Amino acid sequence: MNEQQTPEKKSGVSSWKYSEGLFVSLILVFIGLIIEFATGGKGTSMPAWPANLLILVLFIAYIVVFYFLVNLPLKKWLSGVPVAISAICTFAFLVFLMGFIPQEATNHSSPLMTRLGLNHIVRSWPYLLSSTYLLFVLGLTIIRRIRPFSFKNISFLLNHLGLWIIIVAGSLGSADSMKLSMVLSRNIETIAAYNSQSQAFDLGFRLQLINFTIDEYPPELGLLSAKTGKSVNPDATRPEVKKGTTTMMGDWCVEITNFIENAKKDSAGYLPAANPGAPAAYITAKKHLQNITASGWVCSGSPFVNRQDLMLSDNEFIAMTLRKPKKFTSEIRAFYDDTQESFQLTVNKPYKFKGWTIYQSGYDEQMGKWSEISIVQLVRDPWLPVVYTGIFMLLAGALLMLWTGRSGTKKQQITI
Amino acid sequence: MTWEDFPYFVILCCGLWLLALVLLTGRKKTTEKISILLVVAGTLTLAVFITGLWISLERPVFRTLGETRLWYSLLLSLISLIIYFRWKYKWLLAYSIIMAMVFLIINYFKPENFDKTLMPALQSPWFIPHVIVYMISYAFLAAASFFGIIGLFLSYKRKSIESTMHLTDNIVYTGFAFLTIGMLFGALWAKVAWGSYWTWDPKETWALLTWLIYLLYIHFRINKNNNIKLALWILAISFFVLLTCWFGLNYLPAAQNSVHVYS
Repeated sequence: MNEQQTPEKKSGVSSWKYSEGLFVSLILVFIGLIIEFATGGKGTSMPAWPANLLILVLFIAYIVVFYFLVNLPLKKWLSGVPVAISAICTFAFLVFLMGFIPQEATNHSSPLMTRLGLNHIVRSWPYLLSSTYLLFVLGLTIIRRIRPFSFKNISFLLNHLGLWIIIVAGSLGSADSMKLSMVLSRNIETIAAYNSQSQAFDLGFRLQLINFTIDEYPPELGLLSAKTGKSVNPDATRPEVKKGTTTMMGDWCVEITNFIENAKKDSAGYLPAANPGAPAAYITAKKHLQNITASGWVCSGSPFVNRQDLMLSDNEFIAMTLRKPKKFTSEIRAFYDDTQESFQLTVNKPYKFKGWTIYQSGYDEQMGKWSEISIVQLVRDPWLPVVYTGIFMLLAGALLMLWTGRSGTKKQQITI
Repeated sequence: MTWEDFPYFVILCCGLWLLALVLLTGRKKTTEKISILLVVAGTLTLAVFITGLWISLERPVFRTLGETRLWYSLLLSLISLIIYFRWKYKWLLAYSIIMAMVFLIINYFKPENFDKTLMPALQSPWFIPHVIVYMISYAFLAAASFFGIIGLFLSYKRKSIESTMHLTDNIVYTGFAFLTIGMLFGALWAKVAWGSYWTWDPKETWALLTWLIYLLYIHFRINKNNNIKLALWILAISFFVLLTCWFGLNYLPAAQNSVHVYS
C-alpha cells in the first residue's frame, strides 16, 4: 500500500468498489469453468450426512473467524453493497443461462456444453463457487449488522438471514433428501420403493392399495377438420356432454339426445355397461340455415371400447374428448411390524408415515378410472424444518417490508 | 356469465376508460373528478365480469393465461387508483388503464381460455393466494417501470427526479415484497403438491431471475449517489424479464417440459 498518499484519497482495499467486486466474481466463475472442463463436465455432488453438517459448521466458523481476523477495509468492502451487487449479478447471470439452455443432457447436447457444465448448471463448479461466494459475503454482511443488535435491523435480518438459511440448508440438505416411488396394486403388499435410477429400497414397511377412485370432468365435444384431424377453431368453447343440451359448434346446431357414462357397444348401438366401458353420446347435428342433418353415436374410446366419431360432412366431424381427472384418491393400508394403519391419499393432500411423506402421484392413465394400480411418491427431507425456518423468516421480512417500504432501510444508507 | 359475454364487458369497460383518459388530459378539477369516477366504473364492470365468470365456471378464475390477464387488468387499475388517491399521480392512472386495456384487448383476440377443467395439482388452497399475490406484484412492478421510464426521460432532459425516484423506490419495494411472498407461497405449495419446494422448473428459474434483478435494483439504489440512469435501465430490463417469465416462457427452448405450461 502506498503510504505517501493523502488521507482524503483512499488507497488499496479502501478504494475498491464495483470493478474489483465484479472482477472477483468473474474470476470465480472462470475458475469454476476450468475445473468443470478439467473434470470432464461431471459436475459437483453434495456430500451426505454427517459430512454436510461438518461443512456447514466449518463454513460458519470460517465466516466468523474471517470477520474478526481480517483488516477493516477488506471486511468493509466484502460486506458492502458493491460486492453484494457483483455477487448477485454473477449468480443472476448463471440463472439467466439456466433459463435459456435446456437443463437436461440429451443426445443432442453438444459435448462442449456438457463439458463446461452448461446443461447442468446447478450441479456445476461455476455455480458452486459463485453461490458459495454469495453466501460468504452475505454471511459477513449479516454479522456486521447484528453487532450491535437493534430492533431497527429486524427487517434486514429476517430477509438476509432467512435467504442465507434457505440457500444453505437447501443445497447442503439435497444429498440427504430422498424421493422414491412405489407402484401399489390391490391385494398385494408392496415392499420395494425405487429412486429415479431404479435402485430398490426397503423402507421397513409395506403398502397396499385398498381402493382407487377418480372423479372426472364430463367429456367434451370437439369439431374437427377431416383433413388435419385438428380442431376447427381451437379457441372455441368445447361443450360439455350432458343429456338434453343443445349448443352451436361452428355452423352446426348440436343436440345431445342421449348420454351413457359407461357404455359398451352392441350391434344396435351403445348400451349401459356393468363392466369397464367408455362414455358415449347420441347426437343430432343440423347445419345452420341449411337442411343438412347428421346423427349418430360418438364415443371417446377407452382400452375396452373403440373410439367413435360422427362425420358431419366431407370436411368436418365431431369427436368426444377423453374425460379429464378432477381428483384421484387412493385408499391405502400400511403394515409396520405387527401394526397396520389405513389412510387416504389425494393430490395436494400427502400423508406422513414413519418419517416419510407419502404423495399421490399417478395411476394407469390408459385405464383411467379402471386403473388397477396407484403410484405413490415417498419423500424424506431431514433438512426441511431448517429450510422452512428460512422461508418463514423471509416471509416475515417481506411482510415487514410492505409495512415500512423504502424508509425501512434508511439506516443502511448511513452505514455504507 | 361466460366468455361469450366477454365482448360486451370489454366494450363497456374500455369505453368508460377511454372517456376517462380523454378527460384526464383536462386541467379542471371537476373533469379530473369525473374521469376518476369513470375509471372506478370501468374497474367495477371488470370486477362484475370476473365474479360472474367465477360463479359460472364453478372454479377459481386463475388457471389460464387469459384468466391471469383479466386479474392483472383489474388489479392494475385498482392499484393505480389507490396510488392516485394517496399521491395524486394522474399520469400513472392513465398509463395503468392503457396497460389494462391492452391486456383486455389481447384477451378479446386471443382468449386462451377454452378449458373449463382444473387439474388435480391446481386444486389447492394455495392456488388463489399464489396467483393473486403474483398479479398484485406484477401490477406494482408495472407501475414502477412506468416511473422508471418517466425518470429516464427526465434524467436525459437533465431535470430533477428526486421525488420520482423516491416514489419509484417505494413502489419497487412494495412490488418486490409481494414478489417474494408469491414465490415463497409457490414453494410451500409445491412441497405439498409435488414433494419438493424447488425443482428448477423453467418457470421457477425465470421467477428467480426476475426476483434477482429486482434485488439488484434495490441494492443498487441503497447508495443514492449511484448512477441513476443505470438504475433506471436495470428497472426497465427487470420488467422485460418479468414479462418473459409470465408470457414468453412458452416459447423458450428451455421450457418445453415446464409444469407451469398449462394450456
